Amino acid sequence: MRHHLDEVTRRGFLLTAGVAVATVVGRRPSFAADVDPLLAGRPLVRYPEKTDLILLTARPPQLETPLSYFDRAITPNDAFFVRYHVFPIPTSVDLDPWRLEVKGHVDKPLSLSMDDLKKFPRASVTAAAQCSGNSRGRFAPRVLGGQWGDGAMGNAVWTGARLQDVLKAAGARSGALDVTFDGLDKPAFPTVPDFVKALDLQRIMNDPDVIVAYEMNGQRLPMLNGFPARLVVPGWYATYWVKNLTEITVLTDRFEKFWMKPGYRIPDTPCGCVEPGTAPKNTVPITRMTVRSFIASPASGSRVAVNQPVTLKGIAFDGGYGIREVQVSDNLGITWSRAMLGPDHGRYSFREWAARWTPTGPGTARLMVRAFNTIGESQSYESLWNPAGYLRNVIEQITLVVA
Amino acid sequence: MRPLAIALGLVLVAINAALAGETVSITLPPESIALKAGAGMDQTQTACRMCHSLDYITTQPGGGTAQWQGVVTKMMKVYGAPISDQDVKLIEEYLATHYGPR
Repeated sequence: MRHHLDEVTRRGFLLTAGVAVATVVGRRPSFAADVDPLLAGRPLVRYPEKTDLILLTARPPQLETPLSYFDRAITPNDAFFVRYHVFPIPTSVDLDPWRLEVKGHVDKPLSLSMDDLKKFPRASVTAAAQCSGNSRGRFAPRVLGGQWGDGAMGNAVWTGARLQDVLKAAGARSGALDVTFDGLDKPAFPTVPDFVKALDLQRIMNDPDVIVAYEMNGQRLPMLNGFPARLVVPGWYATYWVKNLTEITVLTDRFEKFWMKPGYRIPDTPCGCVEPGTAPKNTVPITRMTVRSFIASPASGSRVAVNQPVTLKGIAFDGGYGIREVQVSDNLGITWSRAMLGPDHGRYSFREWAARWTPTGPGTARLMVRAFNTIGESQSYESLWNPAGYLRNVIEQITLVVA
Repeated sequence: MRPLAIALGLVLVAINAALAGETVSITLPPESIALKAGAGMDQTQTACRMCHSLDYITTQPGGGTAQWQGVVTKMMKVYGAPISDQDVKLIEEYLATHYGPR
């Protein structure tokens, strides 16, 4: 590999204004499975309200977005990934009887219709949702669990009612600690724990960006992304973004049932990681996302022509501090060049980036990308490891065949 | 004038009904994955499918007896899968044989 890379020397990254230079020649793989052994053999499937997505599992459904969609900041609703925990999932919702109950340790329990929910001031946030186990299939040593490639993520404009407004209307009483969220997905088997997640009440009341969303990119939510309403917790992994939401319960204690403990926990260490293959001494709930960045275009494995500029495109995001810089390297990280950032959709959003690269000789070129957020967090060359396969944020790379 | 008023009224009723009573329904495509043929396949299929599709098995990293014993134990202890002692052994052996280290 190094040998080939050395052959393609003296290439410069030029910042471009996103001028697309059509230099990708030959067949462009329809999705990463063509060159990605993890995804090889996984079928593209079309679920209701969805375009072709990569099937991980059918019951409950887990569908992955092909990497080609991450050349832009906003992920289309029909391409947005799907991840449920228990089966059955809701397949029909009539808004007439649907209610969002707000109950527990409150002065005034609420039973909100969709019309009621829409009477709260409308709030919008552009935020990335990412499964805690996104890219779990790439852990070495391998870990059990959903063997996602990199497509269990997406970015959308979410619109709804601020959760703090809803909770103020219900009047959480003093002494309240945790708030739980439950949706219409209910396990048929009585011993399977219902999917319920919890957030600290103070965390909610201090964060106006946590919303009960009833719109996604200006449309109602697709059923498989949580129709008619879902929680949006910008910056935090999507495990908290409870779909098909029906119940909000204020508690006077800490909620530690299955999907909070032992589920969805990371080692209680600064990196959230441990020596590969070992078990952590203590764990804490997973919360904020790590910094990640991807090259989505050209697709890995594409053929490009010598001396023809190629526009590299992709996205970067983090857990809510915002992306400050994206860099690309064509020499295994010996030198890095700054990419041009696209429009800023806010600190929780995917940030589009583009860079121009010109291959100067034939061979296999390896291109890497890394991002920095506004507090200096970045990505590393070595993958971190933990037994649940969470927090992956290694520096990503693609290969291009220069001919 | 009157017919017009009635017509307008009907239109308003129709719009109200559409706004108030939106129902969204979907139909999930059938599960299509099949397990590899072998002794214990039927028991494995029956036990696992109570809660999830079989791609939960086929997409996992291949593993030996220890891995699959761990998985079956978790399914029983954590999620309460009701599997007889006899079937447990068959299922573990089937999984380790057909979905073993790759």
